[in-house]
Amino acid sequence: MVLSYVIRRLVQMIPTFLGATLLAFLIIQAAPGDFTDRFALDPNIDPEQLQRMRERFALDQPVLVQYANWMWSIVRYGYLGESFSYRAPVNAVIYPLVLNSMSLVLVSLVLTYVLTIPIAVYSAVRQYSLGDKVVTFLSFLGLAIPNFFFILILITGVLFLQPTLRQVAAEGGTVEQVLRPITYDLDRGLVFPVGGMRTSQRVEQMSGWERFVDRVWHLVLPVVVVTTASLASLVRVLRGQMLEFLRADFVRTAAAKGVPPRGVVYKHALRNALNPLISGIGTLLPSLVGGAGLVEFVIRWPGITPAFVAAVKAQDLYIVMGLLTVSAVLLMIGNFLSDVLLGLVDPRIRYS
Amino acid sequence: MAGMQQPPPTPTGQPLGGPVPGAPVPGAPPKATPLGTSHASIVRSQFRKHRLAMFSLFLLALLYAGALFADFIAPYGEGQSFRRGEMNRSYAPPTTIYWTDPETGRLTRPFVYPVVPSRDVQTLRVTYVEDRASPTPIRFFVQGPAYVPPPLSLVPVGIRNQLGWNWRVSTHLFGVEAPATIYLWGADQFGRDVFGRILFGARISLTIGIMASLIALVLGLLLGGIAGYLGGVLDDVLMRLVEVFATIPSLFLLLALRALFPIEINPTAIFVVLVTILGFISWGPIARVVRGLALSLREEEYVQAARALGARQARVLLRHVLPGTAAYAIVAFSLLIPSFILTEAGLSFLGLGISEPASSWGLMLAVAQEGGIQTFTQRPWMLLPGLFIFIAVLAFNFLGDGLRDALDPKLRT
Repeated sequence: MVLSYVIRRLVQMIPTFLGATLLAFLIIQAAPGDFTDRFALDPNIDPEQLQRMRERFALDQPVLVQYANWMWSIVRYGYLGESFSYRAPVNAVIYPLVLNSMSLVLVSLVLTYVLTIPIAVYSAVRQYSLGDKVVTFLSFLGLAIPNFFFILILITGVLFLQPTLRQVAAEGGTVEQVLRPITYDLDRGLVFPVGGMRTSQRVEQMSGWERFVDRVWHLVLPVVVVTTASLASLVRVLRGQMLEFLRADFVRTAAAKGVPPRGVVYKHALRNALNPLISGIGTLLPSLVGGAGLVEFVIRWPGITPAFVAAVKAQDLYIVMGLLTVSAVLLMIGNFLSDVLLGLVDPRIRYS
Repeated sequence: MAGMQQPPPTPTGQPLGGPVPGAPVPGAPPKATPLGTSHASIVRSQFRKHRLAMFSLFLLALLYAGALFADFIAPYGEGQSFRRGEMNRSYAPPTTIYWTDPETGRLTRPFVYPVVPSRDVQTLRVTYVEDRASPTPIRFFVQGPAYVPPPLSLVPVGIRNQLGWNWRVSTHLFGVEAPATIYLWGADQFGRDVFGRILFGARISLTIGIMASLIALVLGLLLGGIAGYLGGVLDDVLMRLVEVFATIPSLFLLLALRALFPIEINPTAIFVVLVTILGFISWGPIARVVRGLALSLREEEYVQAARALGARQARVLLRHVLPGTAAYAIVAFSLLIPSFILTEAGLSFLGLGISEPASSWGLMLAVAQEGGIQTFTQRPWMLLPGLFIFIAVLAFNFLGDGLRDALDPKLRT
């Protein structure tokens, strides 16, 4: 029964996927002009060449034909088209971008869930305690602070410490020895790297392990920022849920018949309260990608969003479509997973 | 989640993020209340009890007043820059205001010293030295750049020009005589007053959210109401459409739609474009909740009665079904506004929103960042617009929370 549900659910995704990609295709093609416009003013390129270029990229054909061809090549070969500006297959162009963004987003996703549950449970169990008030206050702050502003503040903070740390590095002594392993680059006075994804000068000489450590250092600040926003909203949701279930009759019954407090909280209340968290997996992923987007700009992280903005500006149709397709697919996978998971943890949900 | 059979939705099974919807409880008072209290007065007294929400309301009123009277409060015009020669005030720090006489040490009328730019030969940085010889008093109600005063300034420029309504005044709340300059919160790289530009920026940052939320709300109420109340094919089509919209990440949808319009257009046009786009991509979640509410409301006896009396479908929908969603609508509205404020700030930060010389808080941060992140430690005042985004969003969130508690006591958390 579960299998037939899964299959039906997958089949249902197809029209949604087609609708979403078609909508995106139409929107992008509705923008005035096309990719070849930038060459129209170039004296070295004559109109005939322009026309040939249009033909080569099939830009002279009706939009729906272009869409059908594009979709067919995805279905048939998994080929997302050719990038106009890179003159390379879209798959090859966006693969590293998606990977880069995912390294940022997935770490944040895992951290968000790992942190949400204990914080929200604590906050709900000790409602109105000092800790709960601090959590509530912080989650409001986390909701209200714009991502790009938060990362700017963190960077400013790191740079604020820079002169002091440089001095420490120059002076040496015990302070220096303590600080060196827990800072990213003491000689330059940086606790954390403030931009980019890797230490570019030395990356060639690094071993695999060193590259990993280097990446982790670069991930710290953006991950903190991206996690904060999603954590803040999830904690508020889960706390509200927990409060409701802690007051529910079946929880009181469980406590009355002698279930230890831990069991009451985790087995009876939390188990039920988790539902919206699970059904939110699908929407959390794209919202994290979006939230990470502006952060990627500020710290020059070579991810999806900066590339998307550049491609939109250059009217590089298939890069835009490729990135949209990948994120739409991710979103659908997320929604699908959350539905299936919800069925697994909530026995009240029946597949039929 | 089509295809799943779930127990009837309780207020617990709600989607994450966004406003938490809930079934309205028409006529159910939140507490035992004395006889003769109207629903409205219960809501009001409940709202007043939420101190944070009340404070937020006050704070927002203050911000909106600042935006409305920006021309009057700010000592300089929105685009007025100081960047040449002796009057170069690029990145001038906040002006120190002196309250005591330097000789006698007695309290005196506040004054400032003019500053003289001097370039450090080694670092090439411009520093500002106070010229102690000529103290300049701060004057109130001084003449400055002319502007169109408030009630009239709410009329769009195009209409104003056509009608010839362009009376101007040039009184400013405070100011100092040149060559002295007064920057309460420092200057940006063009020597423009950050304090003033934050007030001017508030006009765009604070109205864009309200306008876009209104569009999203009207669309969401109408389409959701139609889908839920009429049902049938229309319902299927609309809900599929919502699903399709939800499949494209909203940031990307926003960026793609923004590309339909040229980057460099005049601020009014950009404003309209942004409001429309934001409104049009955000009605989906509202429509979905309203549809659910309409589904249950149409079974209510008063709705059945209205239909039995022969009211037209449109009338039943508008007069009987949709009012039942008011509690949800108000809360959703107040919680959508801050998310749009954040989005506008982000777009302007990317250079795709409001463009120079107009100002918005996001744009000011973008301009600040262009000066180099490395230098924020030397001019932290450039980060102030971010603080204002933060305060406005926080206040709207608290306001929404307070409204929800007052209107929809079931959802109190």
